[in-house]
Amino acid sequence: MKVGFIGLGAMGRPMAGHLQKAGHQLFVWARRLASVGDLAATLCPTPAELGRCCEVVFTVVTSSADVEALALGRDGLIEGMAPGSVLIDCSTIAPESAREIAARLGEKGIALLDAPVSGGVQGAIDATLAIMVGGEAGVLERVRPLLECLGQRIVHIGPNGAGQVAKACNQMIMVAAIQAAAEAMRLAAAAGVDCAKVQLALAGGSAASRVLDVMGERMVKRDFSAGIEARLHHKDFGLVLEAGRKSGVPMPLTAAVGQQLNALMAQGWGRDDTASLLRVLEVR
Amino acid sequence: MKIGFIGLGIMGRAMVLNLIKGGHTVTVWARRAESMQPLLDAGAGAAEGPAGAAQGNEIVISMVADAPDVAEVMRAVAAAAEPGLVAIDMSTIAPAAARRIGEELAAVGIDFLDAPVSGGEVGAIAGTLSIMVGGSEAAFAKARPAFECMGKNVVHVGACGAGQVTKAANQIVTGMGVLAVAEAFAFAAKNGVDRSKVREALLGGFAYSKILENHGQRMLNRNFKPGFKSWMHEKDLNIVMQTAHELGLCLPGSAATAQMFNAMVGSGMGEEDSIAVLKLLERLSGQE
Repeated sequence: MKVGFIGLGAMGRPMAGHLQKAGHQLFVWARRLASVGDLAATLCPTPAELGRCCEVVFTVVTSSADVEALALGRDGLIEGMAPGSVLIDCSTIAPESAREIAARLGEKGIALLDAPVSGGVQGAIDATLAIMVGGEAGVLERVRPLLECLGQRIVHIGPNGAGQVAKACNQMIMVAAIQAAAEAMRLAAAAGVDCAKVQLALAGGSAASRVLDVMGERMVKRDFSAGIEARLHHKDFGLVLEAGRKSGVPMPLTAAVGQQLNALMAQGWGRDDTASLLRVLEVR
Repeated sequence: MKIGFIGLGIMGRAMVLNLIKGGHTVTVWARRAESMQPLLDAGAGAAEGPAGAAQGNEIVISMVADAPDVAEVMRAVAAAAEPGLVAIDMSTIAPAAARRIGEELAAVGIDFLDAPVSGGEVGAIAGTLSIMVGGSEAAFAKARPAFECMGKNVVHVGACGAGQVTKAANQIVTGMGVLAVAEAFAFAAKNGVDRSKVREALLGGFAYSKILENHGQRMLNRNFKPGFKSWMHEKDLNIVMQTAHELGLCLPGSAATAQMFNAMVGSGMGEEDSIAVLKLLERLSGQE
């Protein structure tokens, strides 16, 4: 299949690679040419041009505004993509943005799936991402083989926007768990206890979690180099808290964790890993 | 002075009456015609639309709900304004939004002041509002006589946006203050202690505040009529939290408080006074 890919960052690059390895013909557009690297793909001059060449287009970028600009802006995908083609947006954006973009594309007969992913850079490299999909079930079935190149757990959540709602839930739980792990590590250290041993012991009990495994280990090793840059979680928390506000749903823990992320940003650790929440607790 | 006034809600209505009482000539406009009538009866003139409120006046004041409303009426004002007009927004909106509106108006030669108020309906009626002003010294000097009819504590804080920053700071203190008094009352009641006595005792010490005195008394009376509606306090705290997010500023207390107000709106208490947060606390702890 002719597949377009926009957003060759830490997540997008390995994802594009998997699609290409599976035998699909890859077309890319990149703001910075350097990000294309040695990827065997046809370079397109604009998103619109890329849209003209492809049956399915993936986007993996940062913000709602980025996706809107790519999809609907000048020389955007909407100008090139044919009726019946599908845009799969794997970015994490606001549910209502996903719905708005879907409506605009729908006027031209282009389908959108909001398909945010979880699993981090490692999950992207290993092609083990969890993919939560919003959009028409029939459209998902058409492109499912493509998504299966990227992840193992592909769940149709509901109509457009539903995938982003699921991703918001994912981010709330994950970052709160990182904060919990950070507080536990901080307490252990302050009490003069070996953090590595605490982490090892906890991993076998009721507190075991993927976050405690991965982030706990980073904290123990004090390795704060980015897996996922904390600024992205900070961005996501803006979306999550806004969604809670729009629904009138109190989220006291999420709000508290959001403030720790604000402090993390203020310390200048936005491009480091979110395990840096431990370092926020160490600020004196 | 000839003054145009846009927005005649609980606050705006009382502020206009004080401007009239102060001898100013006021023309008013509001989206709902019925809210204009009492003021026309009191001697105000009727403007046709926000543009009409600007035409022929020396200053024009808006007192509306949120930033998009302010932007909308100020665009109409900009289109109709004559040179030398001072446009003043007394609504509570985000500092960034105020700065944007100020820049747009400056581009067409209109001086803009952000001048949000504190003091609630009581202060608006009594003409004792606190008014915190951002904008140029010259525009402030020109508008000052009007401010002094509406408020007692009129402070020129700094450049455009500074008034809204001050108001956001005010909402942090009042939001947490209301929650603090409500929590103290819930604590006293759960311990079987008379909260009115607690209030009385606290008023003599370091916990004294206007909120403990006034809002505390209304909590005791279980008078949850607004006043200041909790959905508006929630909106204001959202301005605080969004600004904190953009700046990378850690405000744990404000964040927790904002969630309580969020819960109030979500559970249908948005139209009640923000002191109804006491009811929410009581429900959470099974004190009803």
